Amino acid sequence: MSLTRFLPTPSDRMGILWSLLAIEGSVILEYGPAGTTHFSMGLFGELDLETQNRLYTTHMSESDVVMGDVSRLEKAILEVDQNNHPKVIFVVSSSVAAVIGVDLKGVCSYMQPQVNARLITFEQGGFRGDYSIGLKETYTMLTEKLVNDVAENETKENTFNILGTSLWSYRIRSDIWELTSLLEEGFGLKRQVCLCTDTSVDEIGSMGRAKINIVVNTLALPAAKNMEKRFGIPWILKLPFGYEDTWKWLIEVGKIIQKPLNSKLEHQLQEKIRMTMQYQMYGRMLKEDKMKAVVMGEYDTVEGMSGFLESIGFLVEHKICAHSLRGIESPREDIKYVMTEKDKIDLMKSLHRTLVLADDTMMRLCEKDNTCLRISSPVTQGMVYARHLPFAGMRGADYLLEFVEQYYQTLR
Amino acid sequence: MDGNQLLQRLGKLRDITSMKEVAPLTNAMFPGAHCPLMGAAMAVRGIKDALILIVGTDECAYYTKHMTIHSEEFGGMMGRCVSVVLDTRDVTFGCKKKLELAMRELVEEYRPKAVFLVTTCVVEVIGDDADALADGLSETYQIPVLPVHTEHFKCDNHMPGLERTITACFELMKDQKKRGTVNLLGQRMGNFETTELSRMLREHGVRVGMQLPCGCTVEEIETAPQAQLNIVVHTIALPLAKKMEQKFGIPYVFFNKFTEPDHIYEAYQTLFEHLKLPLPKEIDTLYQEAKTAKEKAYENLQGMTYIYGNTPFDCMEFNQFLTEEGMIPQIIQISSFDEEIDGPAAKKISQAADPYVAKSANIAPMQYLYDVLHPNLYLGHEFAARLRKKKIAMVHSDKASGMLGFEVTTYILKELMRAAEEAKELAKEETR
Repeated sequence: MSLTRFLPTPSDRMGILWSLLAIEGSVILEYGPAGTTHFSMGLFGELDLETQNRLYTTHMSESDVVMGDVSRLEKAILEVDQNNHPKVIFVVSSSVAAVIGVDLKGVCSYMQPQVNARLITFEQGGFRGDYSIGLKETYTMLTEKLVNDVAENETKENTFNILGTSLWSYRIRSDIWELTSLLEEGFGLKRQVCLCTDTSVDEIGSMGRAKINIVVNTLALPAAKNMEKRFGIPWILKLPFGYEDTWKWLIEVGKIIQKPLNSKLEHQLQEKIRMTMQYQMYGRMLKEDKMKAVVMGEYDTVEGMSGFLESIGFLVEHKICAHSLRGIESPREDIKYVMTEKDKIDLMKSLHRTLVLADDTMMRLCEKDNTCLRISSPVTQGMVYARHLPFAGMRGADYLLEFVEQYYQTLR
Repeated sequence: MDGNQLLQRLGKLRDITSMKEVAPLTNAMFPGAHCPLMGAAMAVRGIKDALILIVGTDECAYYTKHMTIHSEEFGGMMGRCVSVVLDTRDVTFGCKKKLELAMRELVEEYRPKAVFLVTTCVVEVIGDDADALADGLSETYQIPVLPVHTEHFKCDNHMPGLERTITACFELMKDQKKRGTVNLLGQRMGNFETTELSRMLREHGVRVGMQLPCGCTVEEIETAPQAQLNIVVHTIALPLAKKMEQKFGIPYVFFNKFTEPDHIYEAYQTLFEHLKLPLPKEIDTLYQEAKTAKEKAYENLQGMTYIYGNTPFDCMEFNQFLTEEGMIPQIIQISSFDEEIDGPAAKKISQAADPYVAKSANIAPMQYLYDVLHPNLYLGHEFAARLRKKKIAMVHSDKASGMLGFEVTTYILKELMRAAEEAKELAKEETR
């Protein structure tokens, strides 16, 4: 079970890179062979990340590897500081630098007095786990190092931060749009920062002034707790899927910020909750089949979508997390991480008359009698343009139900 | 960034004897050179029934697979690019066990005719003996497993990956009875059938055998020694051609993607001499046409200043051609330099102009030199909008990747003249 036939799960280093690339006012300097940096641009382009003037490589020669010479890195740090004037330079280790044990922290420590930019190192090199580990470390580190202090008597703004976003998460920009719309309509809250998509060093610096942290990814929990400790910002952990989940989530937010939910929005959600009750009945009306699903994606998506499907009468046969569960605090027992590709292939090929929510590769393995919907990266068929087609929240539930309807038509 | 300071870092072409003397514009580079792993994948793409098995990090495996998923030749997501992803345990204890397990799955599922076992940086750093592992796997499964080393810290760009993969094919070759065909070695991109060279061979009864790496099977590689001649169209195939000459007695003709009509004519002459065929009259006609086109273009091109980025052509040969057209190179970005091969052309270029040299694949700082040097043209890949803002016209040459013969000269002259006109228009816009 050692062969990887398709795209492997991205590494911690890759997760770190695509998160940091989303921060304006910073530059990433990779210490390693240039080819990896150049090669990565295809993926970053697909994730709609800007690399120009944001991503650099030092390259590494044989003598750097053998002799441990870091002068190339020192010169590059000085250059980026002088030429780009970034507020932060993220110095990221390559796999080669990590294996030979380059002391990046040491280098940055003695280089720091010579530059204006803040130097922050990432020494993972791709060996600490998959991208979920990289995301967790990035969220935690950014809240520890980049968020500015707030004066004790400073009043909280009527804003919220979203913690735990990543451009790897399929349709994340749409989900952000939906959650932002709901919180604005529901409570008049304005979004401050999304950690870590489409943001900047300055925005992250101001995160301490928000009223609440909306945590949409369990991997960002340590970051939320850290901010609670430092700034007293309360948090709520959930990426809401389905009408009822969304309503409950909004009610919970209201309790935390001590504001009532906008009655019009609440009424709208209640109407939709009533409407979905019919699906339980539809399920019972089937003579041969059962409404069953397999959900494969990121942890919080799997948890949320499975919950929604179960609430409308589905049997979710498999809940599979696309990344390791190592970074998840107390993961649910019914969500599994299938480590080997072969096992995933065998599972996908065995499905029939099932609603399959997964990524492009897994969907391709399914027989034609299944109904498939892409809910997870990698995207290998086409591109994602829309920023208004969410899976989460109220509009996300509308969209998911359309697929449930489509699936229902295939059942007997 | 101060463009003048940047220029001071650079040496002049006249002073260099090797790549070690060529400075990068900056130490922090963007986008940086391509990886030899990518080169290896490009080469295996054209070998229809062979598999590439990458041994490396998730990242190396991801990006290479990512590159191949939209490639019909590779077979897309389900295609011929697979990997063995290493974790910390493998880095500590070696990748042998995981590789053996993966190979068993691979053989059962894909039944390949040959496997290119491509090792990446980390494997080379930890010192796993990929050659011995490949030998063992070949013996176990009775299929050729060819090791290709692609550590990027030992080379400058992706070309060694292509070269090593092509050269590794030598191990597949078996002595054959000569059948009078010719092999085509080293065409990386495009379809050989559509080239002028291919047409010339076809029209004069010359059968083309193996085309490596632009399209062949493992069986065609095995039987490649049946050829009477190898035509080498890029330097990446020279080591293989030399090995084939030594072992199988097959001579080779170097028919690079030349731009200078004299060089193309000489290559055709040598080729037809080896084929023991009279030089086709059409070649004389094409030669005269190309020379006339070159002479005519001089009027439009002379005095045009340019920065050379990268093109499908031989860097020094092409720059010599350009200086003979009266054009003035200001900076030549290069990825390789061999004094013996490139020295004579470099000398001629330096006599005509006095260009700086910089390592290629670092376009980010180049933008700061435009206001210092004010070139008319940029040859190679850059952000078109950025160039336009600086009143610089871009010369496109990618189409020439699939050309060989005088068609190369005709095409590039036309494109150069188009770009020169555009540069003149841009200059007028500035004065308006």
